[in-house]
Amino acid sequence: MARIAPTPGQKLSYFIFVCISVLILYLDITSNSFQSIKNSFKSFKVSAFYITNEITIEPIKYVINLTKSKNDLIDENKNLKDALNISYLNNYLISRDNNFFKDEEIIKSAIEKKNYNFSYDIAQLRSLDPNIYKCCDRHRMHIEILSNSQNSYKDNVVFNSSGILGLIVDQNKNKYHEVLLLTDVSHSLPIKSDSNQFFCNAKGSGRLDIIVCSYNPLLWKEEMSINKEFYTSGLGGIYPKNIKVGFLKEIVIEETTIVRLEIKLTTNPLEDSVFGVIKY
Amino acid sequence: MITYLKRILFITFVNVIDHFVAGLVLNFFIVLPLTFLTYSLYVYRSNKNINSSEAFLVGLYIDLISETYLGLNALIFCLITYTINLYANSFKLFSYLQICLFFGISASAYVGFIQLVENLYNFSYLVLLISSPINILFCTLIAFISLYFPKSLNKSF
Repeated sequence: MARIAPTPGQKLSYFIFVCISVLILYLDITSNSFQSIKNSFKSFKVSAFYITNEITIEPIKYVINLTKSKNDLIDENKNLKDALNISYLNNYLISRDNNFFKDEEIIKSAIEKKNYNFSYDIAQLRSLDPNIYKCCDRHRMHIEILSNSQNSYKDNVVFNSSGILGLIVDQNKNKYHEVLLLTDVSHSLPIKSDSNQFFCNAKGSGRLDIIVCSYNPLLWKEEMSINKEFYTSGLGGIYPKNIKVGFLKEIVIEETTIVRLEIKLTTNPLEDSVFGVIKY
Repeated sequence: MITYLKRILFITFVNVIDHFVAGLVLNFFIVLPLTFLTYSLYVYRSNKNINSSEAFLVGLYIDLISETYLGLNALIFCLITYTINLYANSFKLFSYLQICLFFGISASAYVGFIQLVENLYNFSYLVLLISSPINILFCTLIAFISLYFPKSLNKSF
């Protein structure tokens, strides 16, 4: 059967819907107007996935486990794994051998003086799309904070056992929170060099494990070399000071007045599924 | 209504497959937009014109489930639906190869547009150049497979 070519009325309706799409797209890119809708849908998706999992896969697993008579062992194994993950985070913050802080004396003296007051909540990874993480500029993940606290976690720093990952950006008080990763193009991280002679705002590159920092070499005289380490400067008031961020991977001279440093992060959000959320 | 639900479920299912396939082929700088191709095929095979509101809503739904910017797929789906509706009768004069070329190039344009919006800072011509022939090849392969499918299955789709 032949299909009729679009009539002028249909053409007009297409034009209107194209305009509406462009408007929505523009609003979504330039502002966070639809963030609440996206977050609600994301929460629904994650919850639906877990409920479906609980109803369908878990009973099958349970039956299989029963037949194998390994229930206790599996439970114990799961508990031990959770405890191990949490202890990794604990050790990461309090161990004297870790490289979380540039100056190990800070944490050493804090422990010796018994004024250790790093407080954090444990969070579990709920969603991180590796395709988007590998392909695109927007690097986000969703976590569930395992705490009964009703506080807003907006701008709280998220870390895993290898370092800081990013900060929570949504204001909702639900248990699911969106984390803006360091590599997201809209993220900016104030960093400094080991010698405290160089400061810069490192922006997310949209690439895996890479943040970039552009500076004017006429203003900052410090010599840069590959593998030079960078730390958070604490400027901006969000990230704590002196946390190791990564090391210099590449120096790109774009112009005589602009040099771009590509810094490889020490952390990778795909490594762990348990995170810490620093409380202030 | 049930037909619409079935279509939405089918597109959701394809989107899930798309998601898994993307993870595998992205390492080879290939983007295979299965959801877009499925929707295009649905519009192409439909006996009547798909209206703009349906294209818009399906696109918006895809935006929501694939976590892209809202309006991105809605815009592209509206444009591809309009184009296919416009040339629906002309397609009957085309050879299979020409139709495959059309859908392959549309898929490449889709990849380019998506990359431009979602990956502006790291826009990769390499991805676009590799994806284009792969998409054309993929469309040709699908056309070959559908030729050898039983007629009844073809019609039911």
